[in-house]
Amino acid sequence: MIRVEGLRKSFATRTGRVQAVDGVSFDAADGQITGLLGPNGAGKTTILRMLYTLMSPEAGRVLVDGLDAAIEPTRVRACLGVLPDARGIYKRLTARENIAYFGALQGLDDRLIAERTARLVSALDMRDFIDRRAEGFSQGQRTKTAIARALVHAPRNVLLDEPTNGLDVMTTRSLRNFLLEQRAEGRCVLLSSHIMQEVARLCDRIVVIAHGHVVADGTPDELRESTGCANLEDAFVQVIGSDEGLFA
Amino acid sequence: MRALWIVLRKELLDAFRDRRMLLVAFVVIPLAIPLVLAGTNALSARKQTQQLEGPLELPVIGAERAPNLVAWLQSHNVKVLPAPKDVDAAVRTQERDVVLRIDEHYRDDWRAGRPASVEMIFDSSRPLASGATVSRLSGLLDGYGSTVGTLRLVARGIHPAVANPLQVGTRDVATPEARFDLSQQILPYLLLLLAFIGGMQLAIDATAGERERQSLEPLLATPVARESIISAKILATAVFSLLSIAVTLVAYRLAFVIVPSRGMDASFDLGPGGLVQLFLIILPIVLLGATVLTALAAFARSYREAQGYLPLLMFLPMIPSLVLMVAPVRTQLWMLAVPFLSQNQMIVRVLRSERIGALDWAVSLGASFAVVAVVWWIAARLYHREQLATSS
Repeated sequence: MIRVEGLRKSFATRTGRVQAVDGVSFDAADGQITGLLGPNGAGKTTILRMLYTLMSPEAGRVLVDGLDAAIEPTRVRACLGVLPDARGIYKRLTARENIAYFGALQGLDDRLIAERTARLVSALDMRDFIDRRAEGFSQGQRTKTAIARALVHAPRNVLLDEPTNGLDVMTTRSLRNFLLEQRAEGRCVLLSSHIMQEVARLCDRIVVIAHGHVVADGTPDELRESTGCANLEDAFVQVIGSDEGLFA
Repeated sequence: MRALWIVLRKELLDAFRDRRMLLVAFVVIPLAIPLVLAGTNALSARKQTQQLEGPLELPVIGAERAPNLVAWLQSHNVKVLPAPKDVDAAVRTQERDVVLRIDEHYRDDWRAGRPASVEMIFDSSRPLASGATVSRLSGLLDGYGSTVGTLRLVARGIHPAVANPLQVGTRDVATPEARFDLSQQILPYLLLLLAFIGGMQLAIDATAGERERQSLEPLLATPVARESIISAKILATAVFSLLSIAVTLVAYRLAFVIVPSRGMDASFDLGPGGLVQLFLIILPIVLLGATVLTALAAFARSYREAQGYLPLLMFLPMIPSLVLMVAPVRTQLWMLAVPFLSQNQMIVRVLRSERIGALDWAVSLGASFAVVAVVWWIAARLYHREQLATSS
């Protein structure tokens, strides 16, 4: 369960301050997949970075399973499994070693790491490359490794920043099924995307972000209803005000 | 602590799988440095032997005016050559170390029993190149003069001791280990430089490289405290450079076995005790280097920017050596509180087999570790900046 209340964040640039996130509030419930949808530069990555305490908000607060991220950042990070925008893995380690490293950092013992790794390997279909060094991995193999290491400690809350970026159709499909399994296990899954079709297909609840604001928040049906549009595509275009960057 | 150990283990595993890093740390440095040093030592030893014991090539102006002197010099291993046309130029361009000019009135003065003039022409601004030859010739001329003088006194029935009211003797208290030589001058700087920036590749790779390869952000998203992460990266760097230094020291010792240079290897005739002392002395510098490099890598926006600071860091360990070279001073306690200056003095003492007192140890280690703690604190603050993981 993730609750975001009135988050604000700005950055200094050469031409002045840019308000990247401007009063964002939403909930992501357990047993649901929540999608943050918005064009590139809308502020999705910055919101997620404040959720996993890499950045601290200028105003507002983040609650993860009732814990305030500003007060207990370490415990909050322990409740989260994070696939950040940056998903580099260690090239001189094997995929298995990459996963085990993060498992150990999450405080898991070797037996539990082995058990969880085995489960993730079959769920994400990683058998072919799990014991290979990551040097020369394809983007799909890298992303799968990054997801496995993010979830090795079986976190209650899963944050994924553009998880399907650069993945082929087959990998996207297996990732989608994997996220549905996570939902079925009662986890809170929050993902960001700029691809409308993906969010529409996968998410129970959609939070539309544009220019640092929440411009719409609801189930796909609610979105259609509130905009009076028969299909989601038109609904998105209407709430964002343009169709820029929303189509894959 | 557990997280620190996990990160440390991973960083070392990662480093030991990096062939290029291993090649530099455990093959290139341990081979290049001792070979260059031992080679230079062997060269300088050979040159010294030649200057002191080989035939002395001596152009003489007006050799015909002093046939006895010339014959005496020739009997003392001097090869007398005709004088070059431009004597000053020949000396200045180092074509000749020294030229002897026998005065036009030498013959008349000699016969009349007046002091006969000879002149040594040399360039005093090149003491290393020609100093030994000049003093050798000067000694020979003195010897000839006093031999002839003694004979003249005896011929006049006077005891030669009358002309020597003072007899000057010398006694050198230097131990064999303390004898001046090249390696003793270079080794402290070399050790300090290696200790300070020997782990540069690992340190920069572990922070700036990790960020550039996009794996720092996921690491910071784990519950591990940043202080643990940075401490582990610093320790990994320190362990790596200590290993590299150990291999280099062993190679250095071996190089002097392979390239024998008479009397020159005395300065590194260290037993296990001496080696342990050297390690203890440079340990704070290793940690200081690892911490400074990690702080720099966290501060710099990119791998390349971090590398750009390296020449500056190379200069730091040189400063005390330069100061001591220009103004050699006796060791005072406050010096042992200044990093680099302290280690420089301590290393020289170990090489000279001098005893180091408990107070000296305490001041040197205490002050240096205090500086490490301050830099560590700065590095940890830098690791807490938001830009650390996101600016790339």
